[in-house]
Amino acid sequence: MACLHDHNCEDHDCSSDWSLYKHIDLPKVSALNEAVSGSVKSVFKAWEQRLDSSMQGYLESNEGDPELLVFIPFTSDVKIKSISVVGGADGTSPSKMRAFLNRDGIDFSDAQSMQPVQEWDLVENFQGLLEFQTRYSRFQGVGNLTLHFPENFGAETTQIHYIGLRGEATQLKRDVVATIVYELMPNPSDHKTRAESGGGLSHWSEQ
Amino acid sequence: MVLEATMICIDNSEWMRNGDYAPARFQAQADAVNLICGAKTQSNPENTVGVLTMAGKGVRVLVTPTSDLGKILACMHGLEIGGEMNLAAGIQVAQLALKHRQNKKQQQRIIVFAGSPVKHDKKLLEAIGRKLKKNSVSLDIVDFGEEDDGKPEKLEALLSAVNNNDSSHIVHVPAGPNALSDVLISTPIFTGDGEGGSGFAAAAAAAAAAGGVSGFDFGVDPNLDPELALALRVSMEEERARQEAAAKRAAEEASRQEKGEQPSNSQDTTMTDRGSIMAPEAGNKRNDLMDDETALLEQALAMSMDDPKSGHSADSDMSEATAVDQDLAFALQMSVQDNVNDSATQTEMTKALGDQSFVSSILASLPGVDPNDPSVKDLLASLQGQSEPKEEEKKPPNEEEK
Repeated sequence: MACLHDHNCEDHDCSSDWSLYKHIDLPKVSALNEAVSGSVKSVFKAWEQRLDSSMQGYLESNEGDPELLVFIPFTSDVKIKSISVVGGADGTSPSKMRAFLNRDGIDFSDAQSMQPVQEWDLVENFQGLLEFQTRYSRFQGVGNLTLHFPENFGAETTQIHYIGLRGEATQLKRDVVATIVYELMPNPSDHKTRAESGGGLSHWSEQ
Repeated sequence: MVLEATMICIDNSEWMRNGDYAPARFQAQADAVNLICGAKTQSNPENTVGVLTMAGKGVRVLVTPTSDLGKILACMHGLEIGGEMNLAAGIQVAQLALKHRQNKKQQQRIIVFAGSPVKHDKKLLEAIGRKLKKNSVSLDIVDFGEEDDGKPEKLEALLSAVNNNDSSHIVHVPAGPNALSDVLISTPIFTGDGEGGSGFAAAAAAAAAAGGVSGFDFGVDPNLDPELALALRVSMEEERARQEAAAKRAAEEASRQEKGEQPSNSQDTTMTDRGSIMAPEAGNKRNDLMDDETALLEQALAMSMDDPKSGHSADSDMSEATAVDQDLAFALQMSVQDNVNDSATQTEMTKALGDQSFVSSILASLPGVDPNDPSVKDLLASLQGQSEPKEEEKKPPNEEEK
């Protein structure tokens, strides 16, 4: 589902809508099959800079292999309304996008075999005005987002200049088990039985 | 201090029996693996290392990535050698093991020991390399053992397919005196990418250098362990002194024994067998011809003590002298005897000569010596007694003969 920006951007500030990039945990963003390690971080920027890739570069896949996998963790749980992707020219734009939510450590074999939360057929979007809406009910409470781009429009590599996310950020953090303490030796005080703690019927009571 | 999960692929094929790496290829490989495990776990406590074997009945994972060094070292024991290495399967299984690592934040790394010939073709290896690169797995290759033609090129092709930003390395280790682990210590496999060497690697390198050919005395670095170095040096000096004293004592003993048995030694045996005759000594002897025999002997002894090994074999001189003068011959022969009977073999020699049957058999084997010759018989008889009067007896027969 693609929506065109059909209002005049002078009226309101579009960039405020696309401000979810501020909630991305940028140091932990990673990508698989990127030609230059770390170049994925350059695609998350303000909406005004979506077409300007001369400063930080862009994300490009390895030669001869158009697949890309982008892992986006957030600093707090977000709700994602729509996604916008600006690709490269000459067929280097991705043609398909598959999204996975709240999963760690997906690699290509996982991505190809798993069922995505949602899948889109992309079109070439050089101006960055196209956005792809999500099934909003499924995209509530997103701790991290994994985007898989399996194909492009026929070029040897896939280029992505900008990924924009629209939605809301909640202040909540996803429920994660932060610290686990393993017992090396049992501590009897932690393992009192009911009889010892004085509760419940005792079997030794006179009958 | 990169957070890393490493899988080490060991080659335990039949090619590992070869002994061109001390002590055998397999042991050298095992040492290197132990060293790598230690280095990885020390550089970052959360690092994990796993081990699998590529040959044998098939690729087998011995231990999944764990940070417990004891478990890893334990599984290295009792590994059997056999079968043929399957490099492609090994790498793929390693990749799978890394995929299921517990801490997804760790970087993935595979270290492969390629000792046998590589039977896969280049294309397959490059495809494997590209798959590794796509999943951002780094690969370190240790090329040792069999120098198959085409093997270095195949491994280099694999490396270039995998290599992403210099995170993968290859090391070619030829057979030689250096241990495999020592060679690896200085490579990026140990030192990591641009870290310049962790503490472990640096300490291990220092120990290896000290113990190896680069030669501190006694193999102990005086900087690392001055007391040990001092103790070793002192004990070496003491040993040297003790040996010199022992030598001196034995020499004195030899001189005493020499005087006791002057006439009775079978010089023929020694003359032909040993070579250290002294030409200068012969010359000096000529000066003393007129002296008493004992004095002559003493001088011979003195010469031998001063200069035990300086002469060349001068058999020709000897025979010449024999022809000229019997006394001279005797003296020369005895000087030979002195040289031969140095402190270590003194007693053994006398015992051997005392054994008459032994002496007669040797005499029989010598050219130009007729055992039935009366002089020779007398000589043999005199061996029993070993006293001065015997010497006089012998001399007249000798003079008669010549």
